[in-house]
Order: sequence, then C-alpha cells, then structure tokens
Amino acid sequence: MAEHDDRLDRAIALLREPVPLDADLDRRIAERIAALPAPRRAGPLRLAARWLVERRLRVRPVWALAAAAVLMVVTWGVRGLIPAPPPAATTAAAPGLQTVRFVVLAPGAAHVSLVGDFNDWTEDATPMQRIATSDLWAASVPMKPGRYRYAFVADGTTWLVDPDAPPALDDDFGRPNSVVTIGGS
Amino acid sequence: MHTPSTAGYPIAPICVTCLLHRPPDVTCRPVTGYGSVNGPPDGDLVRRVLDGEPDAFGGLVARYRDRLGRYAMRMLGNPADAEDVLQETFIRAYRSLGRCNDPERFGPWVYGILVNRCRTLGAKRARRNRVQIADDVVLARAAAPGDHAENQALRQTLEWALARVSPTLREAFLLRYVEDLSYEEMADMTGASVPALKMRVSRAREELRRLLVEASDG
Amino acid sequence: MHRTLPAILFVLVALTPGRAAAQEPRLAGRLPDQTRRDVEALLDSARTAGLPTEPLVDRALEGATKHAPGERIVAAVRRLAADLAASRDAFGAGVSDAEIAAGASALRAGARADDLARLREIRSDQPVTVAAAVLTDLVALGVPPDTATAAVLALAERAKDSEYLAFRRNIERDVALGATPVAALEFQMQSAANLFDAGPGRAAGAANRPRKP
Repeated sequence: MAEHDDRLDRAIALLREPVPLDADLDRRIAERIAALPAPRRAGPLRLAARWLVERRLRVRPVWALAAAAVLMVVTWGVRGLIPAPPPAATTAAAPGLQTVRFVVLAPGAAHVSLVGDFNDWTEDATPMQRIATSDLWAASVPMKPGRYRYAFVADGTTWLVDPDAPPALDDDFGRPNSVVTIGGS
Repeated sequence: MHTPSTAGYPIAPICVTCLLHRPPDVTCRPVTGYGSVNGPPDGDLVRRVLDGEPDAFGGLVARYRDRLGRYAMRMLGNPADAEDVLQETFIRAYRSLGRCNDPERFGPWVYGILVNRCRTLGAKRARRNRVQIADDVVLARAAAPGDHAENQALRQTLEWALARVSPTLREAFLLRYVEDLSYEEMADMTGASVPALKMRVSRAREELRRLLVEASDG
Repeated sequence: MHRTLPAILFVLVALTPGRAAAQEPRLAGRLPDQTRRDVEALLDSARTAGLPTEPLVDRALEGATKHAPGERIVAAVRRLAADLAASRDAFGAGVSDAEIAAGASALRAGARADDLARLREIRSDQPVTVAAAVLTDLVALGVPPDTATAAVLALAERAKDSEYLAFRRNIERDVALGATPVAALEFQMQSAANLFDAGPGRAAGAANRPRKP
C-alpha cells in the first residue's frame, strides 16, 4: 500500500507541473478583448446589493503562491521545467493525414496489434507499444479522412474493442469492431 | 521535496508571506494582497481597467494564464479544449469585471469562472483514452527529450486514469491536490458542501490509486 | 423496395457465370482459393457497376483475419456490395467512394434511402461522408434510427464536418455519464441550435456580442 501511495504522490507531482500553452494564446485573447466594449463598474443598485450580502471571504495566500510560482518559472528559465517540443517536421503527419492515437488496456497480453480498414486487417502491420511495464498499449497512426472499422488483437487470439469509440453496427463475423471517423474530407 | 503530512498532502505548500510550511487548514493574511509578488496587486489592475485602461487586463491574463491553463488541461485532457476554455474564461472575466465584488480577490473570482466553464464545456464529457486527432505538440510533449522514462510512462498512464474518473471527482481532486485550495475555497467555487467535497476527494484518491495499480500490474 | 431493387440487380450480375475476374493481390494467400475467386467475382461486378471496391476488399480481409468460414466472408462481401449499390442510388450521381461507403453504413443502421437523398440535397455543396457516419454512430449509441436521422438532417444545412463530429462526441460522453441516448441528443441539439442562432461568424461573434448587464 505504501508503494501505491508513492505512485499517487508522484502522479500528483506530475499534475502540478506547468502545462505548455500555445504561444499565440495571449495575442488571441488580447485581440478578442480589444473588440469588446470596455467593462463598467457596477451601478448603485448592485453596489447596495453587494453590501447586503454576507460574504464568506477570507484572505487566501494561495494566489500569491501562484504568482510566485509563475515568477519562479519565468526567472529560473522554462527549459528545465517544461519539456520543449521537438521541431514540428519530425512529428507532423504528411499533408492530408491526421495522426490518431489508439490506447487500449490489455491485461496479461504479451503482444497487441491494431487491425482495421486502414491496414488491411493485417496483424503485423501496426504492432502496439506497451507503455512502460503497464498493461496499457498504444499506437499512433497517420490516417486520411474517412471512416474506419478497427479492433485490437491480443496475442493473436483475443479480440478487444475500444470502449471509448462507437461500436460498428455491422458485425458480420461475430467479433465486434469499433469505428473511428476522421474529418477533413 | 516530499513533506509527509497527516492531511495526505504530498507536498506542503509554502506561504510566500511568512515563508513557512502552511498546514492545510491555516490561512495567512498577506500584507500586500494577492498576486502582488511581482507587479501591482490584482485589485489595482482591476480598478485601472474599470477606470478606462483596458490594457491593464493584460497584466491579469499574464499573471493567471499558466495556472488556469494547467487546471483546464488536467480537467479537460486536451490542449484545444483547454485553450478554448481559457480564452472564454478571460473573455467572460473581462466582460463582467464590473461585477467582481472584490477586486482584491480577482484570482478566486476568475478561477470560479474557469471551473464553471470547464463544467459546462467539458466536465459533462467523458474524456477518451485516446485523442481522435492527436496534436503534434501533445505527442512531442509525451516524448520530451530529457524526461525520465518512468515519468513519461506515468504521465501517459495518468492521462488514461484521469479520463476514467468522473468529472465531479476529477474536479475535486485537482482543486485539492493540484491547485492547493482549502475545502472552504472549494465550497465557494463549486457550491458543494465541505463534507461532500471531502468525500469526493477521498473517493477520487481511491479511484485513481486503484486505476494506477490496475494499469501497472503488467 | 427502393433499396432492394438495385441489390437484386447487383446479385444477379454477380452470379453471372463465366466472367473472368481481375486479381486483387491483397487477397492472395489470405483467403481459401474458392473464397478468393468468389470475392473477386463480386469485386469485378462492383467495378462494373461503378461502385467502390475498397470497402469490399476490407470486409474480405477482415473476415480472413477473423478466420471466418469462406461462405460467411462471401456473404458479408455480397451484402456490403448491395448496401453500396443502394447507397449510391440514394445519393445520386457524383458522390465519392467515401460517401457511398458512409451511406451504406447508414442504411445498414436503419436510415432510409429517401433520407440519404434529402441529406445529399441539403449538403449539395460539400461531402456528406461525415454526416452519414455520424448518423450511423448515433444509432450505434442507442438513438433510434428515425431520431438520429432527424437530428442529422436538422443540422445538415449549417453544421460543418467538425461540428458534426463534436456533436457526436458530446452525445457519446453524455451517454457514458449516464444520460439516455435520446436525452443526450436533445440536449446537444439545443446547444447546436443556440450556436447557430448566433448568426454568421458565430464562433467569434457569439462570444463577443455585448451582453445586457
């Protein structure tokens, strides 16, 4: 149990890490705000209502902590805290293709394949990678826009559907499939 | 640094005013107001905007975007939704700035807007265990050079596990353990009672722990 | 009747003996010989009828990977070919292979040919692939076919493909959280209606419209 708490503690530490945001976000927000009418102070009626309402307010230092954290990130440098993405050319899918990531939980499997309309249902076309020593398996596939039936095969014998995808309604062979639709046609 | 705590915090937060480890249920009154470690206090910036200096709002955006963005990302699970919600939050905050009852508490106020935005736009949605259109930055982030392999694996497992916890529990867990809010602050923001929030946090911990174990027993 | 006539004609053509079928290289080594010949005959007929063959090859390969009996594979390919023919007839001339395939799935899900024709008419300036796929997916989620069809047609005039996909994703997630499929669909329909009622440039304009205090 102590080992499991350590894992949760590490998970929490990871969740508290900063998240990289689009560098253009501030500009987009500024542009939208510039198009808005300037906000105005509350009128006298609202001011009166404010004083009539009892507030459960206490001064919170947590926001000062947040500002300090931002300041620390800025002054100590982002590189060490936030992973920098590699150049886009090394990870971008070819024009017209979109990369879809498939993840499945397959307890006890030694080998998991992704099969579907996009790889001729060939078991060795898209082997999945185990995530560390977990039971999670993942694969990223560049795909053209369209609709594809697919399933996962564990150890060549166990068929798994994707619990988070719509099921394929036409099940001709007694083993159900999932469906993914890629837009952009 | 890991500081054991009977309240279950993995890391005890540090109060920047008294520079002491802050026990979970003790508050501290800062001398200069929120967000005042660098630049004018939030209250000053809010008043300047309302007095006809809209550019001052940019200071508030810069101050809060990263932290709000982190919560949105953890809650919604993908950068596109998180950035959309973040934008909408700041837009709403700007438009209704005159209704911010206490400018000194702009932080909790805008945070409450964000939590509601996440609930409206994303908290009703079950997150998926795969992104249908994977963002190159997300993939790159997952394979960042220099990132310890074990941390990388835990990141991916954590994404998967968070997706399986209900939005209500996820929200409580993030507000408590990632955003370091007290139960009173969480009650203000969510409208739930403190006992209900404590139960949600406890259930979220148990559920995440169980999922992390389930994913790692390979 | 409208759906079965092209299907019957297709089957009659496919069963015509003595026609030499072209070889589909991907089937070699994956299907028993007789099964492969039967499937290639169906492919040939589909080609002659101007139908896409890729979905048929995919279906045969799926059956092969799943170690299905040969006659079951042939039956599945034949049924899909008939669905493709019905879909193409419903949509009319000038539709792409992807649209035909999506329409075939929608028909299998319970959509009517008349409704597919209506969909094509409303979205005459853009592909109907995603709209038809979303219709199928909604039925798969548990929405009755008529209700799913009505929803998709209601959105057809104004929804972009990305909005269709978001619509379906939202319903999926609400259902996963315990909403009934129809209730989830109704809620998302209302959200979509609110979004569209905001008018042109709705994505930015709706957010920036001044609000009454």
